[in-house]
Amino acid sequence: MTEEQALIEFVTSQRWFGSKTRDAIHARVIDCAVLRDEDPRIEVQIVEIGFDTGTHETYQLVVDDGGFDALADPRSVRELVHMLRTGRNLPAGEGVVEFGTIEGMAAVGQELREARPISGEQSNTSIVFDEELILKVFRRLEAGINPELEMLRFLTQHGFENIAQLAGWYAYGGPPMDTTLGILQRFVANGQDGWELALDSLAREPEGFVARLRRLGEVTGRMHTVLGSDTSDPNFCPEETSVESVGLLTASVDEEIEQVFLDIPDSVDELGPIRGRGEEVRERLRMLTNVGGRGRVIRHHGDFHLGQTLWANNDWVIIDFEGEPARSLPERRRKRSPLRDVAGMLRSFAYAASALPLLRGVDPPAGFEEHARSEFLAGYRETVDPTLVPSGSSFERLLAVFELEKAVYELRYEMNNRPEWIAIPVAGIVRMLAEEVPV
Amino acid sequence: MSDGGHWFERNPTWFKTAVFYEIHLRGFFDGNDDGSGDFRGLTEKLDYLQEIGVDCIWLLPFYPSPLRDGGYDIADFYSIHPDYGTVEDFRLFVDQAHQRGMRVIADLVMNHTSSDHPWFQASRSDPTGPYGDFYVWGDDDTRWSEARIIFLDTEPSNWTWDPARGQYYWHRFFSHQPDLNYDNPEVQEQMLNVLRFWLDLGLDGFRLDAVPYLYERDGTNGENLDETHEFLKRVRAEVDARYQDRVLLAEANQWPDDVVQYFGDGDECQMAFHFPVMPRMFMGVRREEALPMIEILERTPEIPDNAQWGLFLRNHDELTLEMVTDDERDYMYEEYAKDPRMKLNLGIRRRLAPLLDNGRPEIELMHAILFSLPGSPVLYYGDEIGMGDNIYLGDRDGVRTPMQWTSDRNGGFSRADFARLYLPPQMDPVYGYQAVNVEAQLRQPNSLLRWLRRLIALRKQHPVFGLGTYEALRPENPRIFAHIRTYEDDIILCVHNLARSAQAVELDLSRWEGLIPEEMFGRTRFPRIGELPYLLTLGPRGFFWFQLRKDEQG
Repeated sequence: MTEEQALIEFVTSQRWFGSKTRDAIHARVIDCAVLRDEDPRIEVQIVEIGFDTGTHETYQLVVDDGGFDALADPRSVRELVHMLRTGRNLPAGEGVVEFGTIEGMAAVGQELREARPISGEQSNTSIVFDEELILKVFRRLEAGINPELEMLRFLTQHGFENIAQLAGWYAYGGPPMDTTLGILQRFVANGQDGWELALDSLAREPEGFVARLRRLGEVTGRMHTVLGSDTSDPNFCPEETSVESVGLLTASVDEEIEQVFLDIPDSVDELGPIRGRGEEVRERLRMLTNVGGRGRVIRHHGDFHLGQTLWANNDWVIIDFEGEPARSLPERRRKRSPLRDVAGMLRSFAYAASALPLLRGVDPPAGFEEHARSEFLAGYRETVDPTLVPSGSSFERLLAVFELEKAVYELRYEMNNRPEWIAIPVAGIVRMLAEEVPV
Repeated sequence: MSDGGHWFERNPTWFKTAVFYEIHLRGFFDGNDDGSGDFRGLTEKLDYLQEIGVDCIWLLPFYPSPLRDGGYDIADFYSIHPDYGTVEDFRLFVDQAHQRGMRVIADLVMNHTSSDHPWFQASRSDPTGPYGDFYVWGDDDTRWSEARIIFLDTEPSNWTWDPARGQYYWHRFFSHQPDLNYDNPEVQEQMLNVLRFWLDLGLDGFRLDAVPYLYERDGTNGENLDETHEFLKRVRAEVDARYQDRVLLAEANQWPDDVVQYFGDGDECQMAFHFPVMPRMFMGVRREEALPMIEILERTPEIPDNAQWGLFLRNHDELTLEMVTDDERDYMYEEYAKDPRMKLNLGIRRRLAPLLDNGRPEIELMHAILFSLPGSPVLYYGDEIGMGDNIYLGDRDGVRTPMQWTSDRNGGFSRADFARLYLPPQMDPVYGYQAVNVEAQLRQPNSLLRWLRRLIALRKQHPVFGLGTYEALRPENPRIFAHIRTYEDDIILCVHNLARSAQAVELDLSRWEGLIPEEMFGRTRFPRIGELPYLLTLGPRGFFWFQLRKDEQG
């Protein structure tokens, strides 16, 4: 096997490799930097994977002498964090790897005694040190600043407390591209994953959980208010929505609906309730997009659901600001209505309710979803800057458009990845079709 | 890494897979309510351009100018026309475009300046001063009579008398556009400074206007001279030495044999427009025959690996008929310019939709052909929604009317009083902004805009359209234009029916026997290619694009 083939094999077999259904035919190391020279030798590599149609994707590898993933070795990841703390530049072939720290964070997790990888991650690799720090290594690289670094920095600077503080980052800069390679954050010790918490609580004490969702609404509203508060920073300055923005939204959602309905197979029973109803869904979209007031567009979370929250020390922490991994970096950085995040979270409540019988073997309490929605929205409206969102029934209509967008996205995702979950987005779409259009 | 770092992967041939979009800044969007489009307005519309899939914006000249030639008469190379904003507005616009993954190139006129340019004024008044030799002066207006007159409708000669200096000055275009003297090394230096100034501001390249005419030599027609190529090679070397991933796009309205000289050996311009193929597409659709297109592509020489053709259906100028025979030109006038007002110089001053009688199948077919040919497509603002023209406006203004955003006042282009607009928007019942606008077409699933957006997205999934080889299939049915594009493992079969009626065609695909054609829009699989000719039937003006796939499903 040639070196190139070995590289293709290695990269395409990693769980973080995103294009498993495509044919990779080329691989090359574009640039690399030696992180550590003596045993074990560690290199950061930027690797380009070429596909049969001539397109390519770029990935970050951290490898040892044997060409294996060095992030599995605690010594290597410790080295990476040490480098990060030096704040120095490391020469690569053509460019440099830059390391940066945030003032006041150097004292956190000094020792780096124990390193443990986080399991179950899809697109990145994360390692926790002593339950104090977490290093997230981005695998798929795109030119430009990663939204996660940008958002955490902004939210930290503007005093938003419900995040895990940024401690440092590392990035590559050079003629091939500028790109963020990874971030170091404070680890939220004893943080309970919001999704797991939802399932556990719904089985045991739903009322207390719904009260927490009201708090989540408040935190979300406050997050949006902060994100839309700085007119001096062009990357975050809230903007008036243009006249064609609703048209652009309609067009992209409509295309997604059409594509997904083209791909609905005849053989899957769970799809029965929506099979052949693509036109009805598109019609619903057109009715909903007659939005009057439009609010403003801001930078937002971009992939907001219960799995992106932690419950710790009696409050919510919002994590993972990368945006939807399937979208390109310019798309993920795009300003949109904050209601897009709200819709994501509301869909997540529907998921929790539907997943409960599947995963915990119990039914959700009657009316849970409705109750959760209204509490979350009540909390949200209390704290969100009202000029950011549309007023009156336009609020409900725009929210419904984003919920529909999300449900269609979920449908595609479940059809491709988790057929046993298809019933959840199907039920969501059926429910939306049955609802009255808010007037 | 600074936040202002670059937003692209290094790719010295990015332009080969790019979709270009040409913008007349004055007509795009008015950001300050003064009746004229500007950089702030354009910046507000970047989400739209990103959403329809534009990779590179090409801006018409935005420099200070008396605007006697739509800004191609530049009076100051280092600034922005006050109607359009400031250099700071420009910088912000470029940065915002880059952040959205779009690049920006701009028109630059190297051949001449406006007669208002301080260099020319100094040259007139002080023949022995530092600018005395910046232009081409002569005592005799009969020299270089072999050089043709380009603006036949307005210019009697390439020489004009200047009473101030008491000499004639040379101009290949309007008499208010004196040609710069490239035999003067100082002129060359000045022009390189201009290029650096804009590249330093983040511009990704230039469309070099009127590039064949830089030098004059006795006994020649003054076009495509060796000296011109030498200077362009110097420009390229200077740009490559200091900047990454920039592009020079030559506007040389010449025959393919002459145009390919502008690529040099991959060391001159990276791109050049393919002028002759465009009128032949219009001819092909009117005459229902593929031959004019097949022939001109056959006559097109190979170009260097790092070079690319720019292809277009329409642009801001007249549909130029310089690169056709006299017979062909008569035919084109007869078919496409029934009203004499539609003619201008050697061309037809109309937009795409009216040229094709607003026929949706024809507009789609022309775009499909454009997107399938080897080269990078250049769209002209407004054509994506099928905007019309106004032949009662002077010169080329008829194809430069305001972009139609909504059905609101002034087509959503400006909040200024109607009377203040630089040109009236289209208001007729067929092409007016009430009927044709971005907002409505975005919301209408079957609109031209939505269709084109899908076409662009499809093209971008397949680099073969920009990078692949081209091979014409020559079926017996002369009404079918069919060809194969190949890159890496991607094989695309494009079949276009130029006829107004349904057609059947048999294609010899024996070399691809065993592969399965998958229609690219609906992803429908067609019967496997066998030994026998492959039979296809196409509706009137219909087309198919197939990806030829190995049968992976067994």
